[in-house]
Amino acid sequence: MKSVFFTIVFKELKSFMRSAALVAVVLYSFTIDIYVAGEGIDIEPRNVAVGYVDNSSGGISKKILSNLHSPEFVAPVQFLSQKELSNAIYNKEIMVGLVFDNDFEKLYREKKNTQLNVLLDATSASQGFTTLMYLQSILFSFEDIQIPLDLKIHKLFNQNSDNKSFMALSELLSLITMLVVILTAIVFVKEKEDGTWDIMLLMPIDAKLTILAKTLSQVIIVMGGVILSLGFVIFNIFDTPMNGSFWSFIFLTFLYTFSSAGIGLFVAAIAKDVMQVAQFSIVIMIPLIFLSGAWTPIYTMYPFFQVLSFFSPLRYYIEGSESIFYRGTSFVDLYPYYFGVVILGFILYIIGFKKIGRLF
Amino acid sequence: MKNFVRFSVIKAFVLKELTELVRTKLIIMVYMMPSMVTILFGYGIAMDVTHSRISIIDNDNSKYSSELISKFSHSKYFDVTLTHESEAQALEKIKKAQSDIILIIPSSFEKNLLKGEKSELGVFIDAAFANRASTMQNYVQGVIQSAATTSAPMMTLNTRTLFNQAMRDEDAIVPGLIGLVLLVAPAILTALLIVKEKEKGTIFNFYASPIGKLEFLIAKLLPVLLLHSVNIFILFIWATYLFDVPFRGSFFLYWLSSEIYILISLSIGMLISIIAKRQIVAVVLTVIITILPAFLYSGMLMPISSMQGASWMEAHIFPVMYYNHILYDCFLIGQGFDSSKIVLYLFILVGYVIALLGLGALFLKKEMR
Repeated sequence: MKSVFFTIVFKELKSFMRSAALVAVVLYSFTIDIYVAGEGIDIEPRNVAVGYVDNSSGGISKKILSNLHSPEFVAPVQFLSQKELSNAIYNKEIMVGLVFDNDFEKLYREKKNTQLNVLLDATSASQGFTTLMYLQSILFSFEDIQIPLDLKIHKLFNQNSDNKSFMALSELLSLITMLVVILTAIVFVKEKEDGTWDIMLLMPIDAKLTILAKTLSQVIIVMGGVILSLGFVIFNIFDTPMNGSFWSFIFLTFLYTFSSAGIGLFVAAIAKDVMQVAQFSIVIMIPLIFLSGAWTPIYTMYPFFQVLSFFSPLRYYIEGSESIFYRGTSFVDLYPYYFGVVILGFILYIIGFKKIGRLF
Repeated sequence: MKNFVRFSVIKAFVLKELTELVRTKLIIMVYMMPSMVTILFGYGIAMDVTHSRISIIDNDNSKYSSELISKFSHSKYFDVTLTHESEAQALEKIKKAQSDIILIIPSSFEKNLLKGEKSELGVFIDAAFANRASTMQNYVQGVIQSAATTSAPMMTLNTRTLFNQAMRDEDAIVPGLIGLVLLVAPAILTALLIVKEKEKGTIFNFYASPIGKLEFLIAKLLPVLLLHSVNIFILFIWATYLFDVPFRGSFFLYWLSSEIYILISLSIGMLISIIAKRQIVAVVLTVIITILPAFLYSGMLMPISSMQGASWMEAHIFPVMYYNHILYDCFLIGQGFDSSKIVLYLFILVGYVIALLGLGALFLKKEMR
């Protein structure tokens, strides 16, 4: 039994290695793709492009503008008229426009109510809001308004709010899901298409053994990718903190990839050819990723979605991984995540065994 | 190689492809996937952080402290829990992801305020989710600043938010989703069309038959283009009726640019299909090179004007940015053809189609390799 099991595993690994293009694509996704995702994006407002029209005599406006500095803002650009400024905003070259009226400085010196006009491109709503908050606090500090309260803010687990490592990690977790589902599903469907799967089932080997061996081979491929990606990208380039135990992450990842392979098994059961696999797996994976809390925290979702999210293994995986990397939760406290992943995986395998483990 | 295109041949091929799509029930997927993604994400992605779970430890139990707490409970951004735990216990709760923020009000809070001395509030924020943490930090600061400033500031911000006056997340996200869906869905369908025949061996029919290369490509792409064109209208209906996104621009521009964009997506899929030798490679490659850029460079997560260096370059290499610019203009801004930038972007999109189709025709070999 054992030797049959490992023969199948090796056979699948070999056939993976034989396709140079496939190896290249998988390597690319685990390295460059994750690097691009991490490097590309800051969700916080950084380098916000500011433009201004200054009709005032310029003393105070200059002082206010000098407060807009990097990393949040790039140096403000002057426009001659409000029309030019709004055109630049329409063309998305400028995100925030400041207009200082003629009487701006006069009113301020006379200590009357002064207005600073702000034009804000609010197409990305949250960044617009955060930018406004920055402006407000710049004005506060400019006017030297004394607040009798001192806020001592501690950001836990990720002191610098380093978004890059977080984006890279999220991308890695989503990537693991996508690859393991698609690879596993195609391994089975390919045989279905070629007709060799029926022959496989006719052989005097337990179908469950064959199925487990085939999924294990794909899990090994993905785990290899994960380790490469951790070594080269996550730790080396992005310096992601690892506050928990490395091995509990590897253990959780192994359980998770195995149970996601169960999703692949399910896709393989309902798909007839590779074309259908491609379509089904996207239709299944997008809600899965969406319901995992990777984009939106689960408690802010619609109640119906919150219930559904209990059935997404990715939910347990992402929460668990976040806790391991950033919060440094100890191995024992992670048990809900292990359980969640294992139970869902178990159910999926039972369905998989029933659906494709039978000849008729 | 023939230089002319015979419509009867193409018609026959298109009919064959359409029948195949209907028979394999893929046609359901063609319409289900884009709508499903738009609806799920449209309802689901909230960029704004609401209902952060804040645990307040009130060591003062005074009038002032309860006033401050009520400011938090009245804000839609926070779900307040009052606890009498120790700091360590509360921190443990954050560690287990059961709480997001801890606010600690010191015991001398009211006394200090009355005396006019500064008192220090302790705030702990779970920063595992970095951007959420900064947003939460801003909200906490905002609540406390507005609670604490008794004298009205002299200088006020007179803000006019453009395009998305209500700052609705839907308005900001749904158009971007159309850009995402129309890039991914057609590409994944075409990516397999040719490589499938290679794997099955039916590609030899094409090698052996007198059909031209151009005819073959048109016959493969036309059915998918026709089917997905309907999605342009379906997605428009979801956006404007279901999500109430305003539509201020020209519908003709929306339709035209979407058709061109679908053509780009098809050509990307086709190029992959021509280069790849195995279906599995084609599937994985398409997913990897379409989904990620469609998100990153959509302008949904980050305005392109804020990008610098490598990511700025990449944003300009992928077609997503150009289409989304037009898309957001059609929905939220409404400059239409008056803006020279939009006309330029439209031409850039056409350029992508020509370049990608040209590459496809170049790489497609009508012989055995």
